[in-house]
Amino acid sequence: MIEKDHPILRAKAVKKAFRMGQETSVVLKHVDLSVRSGEFVAIEGRSGSGKSTLLHILGALDAADSGTIEYNGQDLARLSSRQRSEIRNTQFGFVFQFYHLLPELNVMENTMLAPMIEYSWLGFRRRTSELKRRAAELLTELGLGHRMRHKVTVLSGGERQRVAIARALMNSPRVLFADEPTGNLDAETGRQIMGVLEKLHRQQGQTIVLVTHDRSLARQADRVLVLKDGRLERPGESPSAEPAPTLDYR
Amino acid sequence: MYKLHLILKYLRRRYIAWWSLLAVSLCTTMVLVVISVMGGWLNMFEHSFQGLTGDIVVESVTLSGFPYYQEMIDKMRQQPGIEAAVPSIYTFGIINIGNLKTAGVQVLGIPIEQIGKVNRFPQSLYRQYNQYVEQAKETKDPQERQKLMEEAAEHAAHPSFKLPLPADDYRKNSDLGKVRTDPSTFPGMIAGSAILEIRRDSTGRTVGRDPYKYKIPVKLTTIAIHPGEIGVNLSEKSEAVYWIVDDSHTGLWQYDNNFVYVPFDELQKDLQMTAAPVRNIETGQDIEEPARTSELHVRVREGYDLQQAKQQVQDVVTSVMQEHLGQSSVFYPPPEVQTWREKQRVWIDAIQNEKLLTVILFGIISLVAIFLVFCIFYMIVIEKTRDIGIIKSVGATSSGVAGIFLGYGLAIGLVGSLLGLLTSYLIVHNINELHALLGELFHVQIWNPEVYLFDKIPNTMSWRDIAVIVPIAIISSVLGALLPALRAARMHPVDSLRWE
Repeated sequence: MIEKDHPILRAKAVKKAFRMGQETSVVLKHVDLSVRSGEFVAIEGRSGSGKSTLLHILGALDAADSGTIEYNGQDLARLSSRQRSEIRNTQFGFVFQFYHLLPELNVMENTMLAPMIEYSWLGFRRRTSELKRRAAELLTELGLGHRMRHKVTVLSGGERQRVAIARALMNSPRVLFADEPTGNLDAETGRQIMGVLEKLHRQQGQTIVLVTHDRSLARQADRVLVLKDGRLERPGESPSAEPAPTLDYR
Repeated sequence: MYKLHLILKYLRRRYIAWWSLLAVSLCTTMVLVVISVMGGWLNMFEHSFQGLTGDIVVESVTLSGFPYYQEMIDKMRQQPGIEAAVPSIYTFGIINIGNLKTAGVQVLGIPIEQIGKVNRFPQSLYRQYNQYVEQAKETKDPQERQKLMEEAAEHAAHPSFKLPLPADDYRKNSDLGKVRTDPSTFPGMIAGSAILEIRRDSTGRTVGRDPYKYKIPVKLTTIAIHPGEIGVNLSEKSEAVYWIVDDSHTGLWQYDNNFVYVPFDELQKDLQMTAAPVRNIETGQDIEEPARTSELHVRVREGYDLQQAKQQVQDVVTSVMQEHLGQSSVFYPPPEVQTWREKQRVWIDAIQNEKLLTVILFGIISLVAIFLVFCIFYMIVIEKTRDIGIIKSVGATSSGVAGIFLGYGLAIGLVGSLLGLLTSYLIVHNINELHALLGELFHVQIWNPEVYLFDKIPNTMSWRDIAVIVPIAIISSVLGALLPALRAARMHPVDSLRWE
């Protein structure tokens, strides 16, 4: 059991660069971050500031060039690929800007993807009714009770994003990562989606790490950090005295 | 769980993969049909040849035959590996069937009451075996069927050259004006079915077997060939009249179209191969020249090693020939001893090689299927790049992702090869009907019995072939999916999610 104030996720001196032909672009120069259990943290930044990259590194989808990411006190870099996959499956949930649903599966099947990956065929069969009940509850709660057997391709953007939230919550993740979850939606639908995330945090104490370029959305979080020039700052903080070149020629 | 679920979804929804399924199915069908027909052809060859000769054949190297055969038979019977030995005389002749047809034929003189001990010749006869079997197949009454099968077995156990019709029917024949002998005493002849124009029509039905054929006199002309003589004396030709008493359908075109069978004693007499006194010109002494035969057909005891039995036969032949060396007025070259397979090795080896070559060729063509599976799977992996990222972001491992595509390949292989098996089964089992249909529609005859020696295309499949080909098809499909699966496994989740 993790105490509420104990950091569940911690990034220390994280650096990440991308090669583009002969040039190398340093996206994250020195990022330190600590997320407590039950906290709703928003990372704000302009397009191309590296906020999605940071989210991917925090969520064990990508690796930092240097620095460490600790989840629950464990250095993610020291874990095997299989162990990182297991953490992504059982401890983390992801909501992406472009929903990222599997077109071959219907709403219910997309929602149940995480337990399908977690359990063997026999294990899943044994828990099918329990898992279906859980998925149905989540979908009903998200207003998709009538859409469970529908193909995801016939849903609206807002509905698809709610399916993605249901999928992310299916395995009761410790941390929910949301990457511009409203970026592809109109203002009203975006507000509804943010309402869902806020409710989750408020009512169930869900730990959420949200990245967005929209300051008004970021303000709904407990804590807002700004990613600027490859570093995280509190809003209003002055930029670092260190020179911050955007391109690192190697 | 997700692997199986996605495989089944992809199998149903990704229509492009159906092309690889079709390719696997077609290749399986192609190889199975070819291997079944070629293998069946080889089996028919082996079965038919073995059915027409003994397990071991002692064969004269000249048409004049070899002597002391009865002594050889007696000694062979005492050998542990030998069950029976029967002589036969082989020569060439001309037949005239009631002035309706004249043809050059190969003549086999057989002691018909014994021939069943060494081969399956009696089972090739229509009147004395197959007509009962055919009737038994048609009847629905089990008791009647049993009775007919017993009758068939009884006839096959005691085949004969006896006339099938009452003697008066033969006496009344107007074609025998110049013949003084009572026609009902003429010996019987069994003719190859194709010589009598008995054949299968396009629907597979036997046509041309009419009762009048048993009332037609057949004149057989043969010429005696004496041992040690360098020429043939044409004045020693023999013209004997026979009645057709039965027809033989071995299934082997070269036999059914060329062979007539007559009583061993009759042919031996006509060819002057019976024992006869001759005078030694040098000594002036009268000696008896022994009776001769052309071949001995030897049956090996069940389960006994064929090569060992052959050695026993060879020893008997050598010892008998040695024993009588110098006792005859002429020198007889020792007959050749061969197993049935050695005797037909030219044919069997050729067919075996042809089968192997065809299978290799079609196997190479099947590589195209692997390449097609590879291309299609590669396309699917590229198309599904983002899905791979999604699955990995939800916790799937690289091996799990590879498993989806390998399993997909396996499913394509399984379904494709089973469809191929079903299609090939339907084709092979109806191949003669399909061939007849092709003949009717397009007037083409692919399977010419004069070339392939059998009038029926083999229509059975071997479980052994299926057990080899189907797993190869499945493995090929998995191999085709291997590289795309590895590529999918190596995909970085973030790169995959950003794929456009």
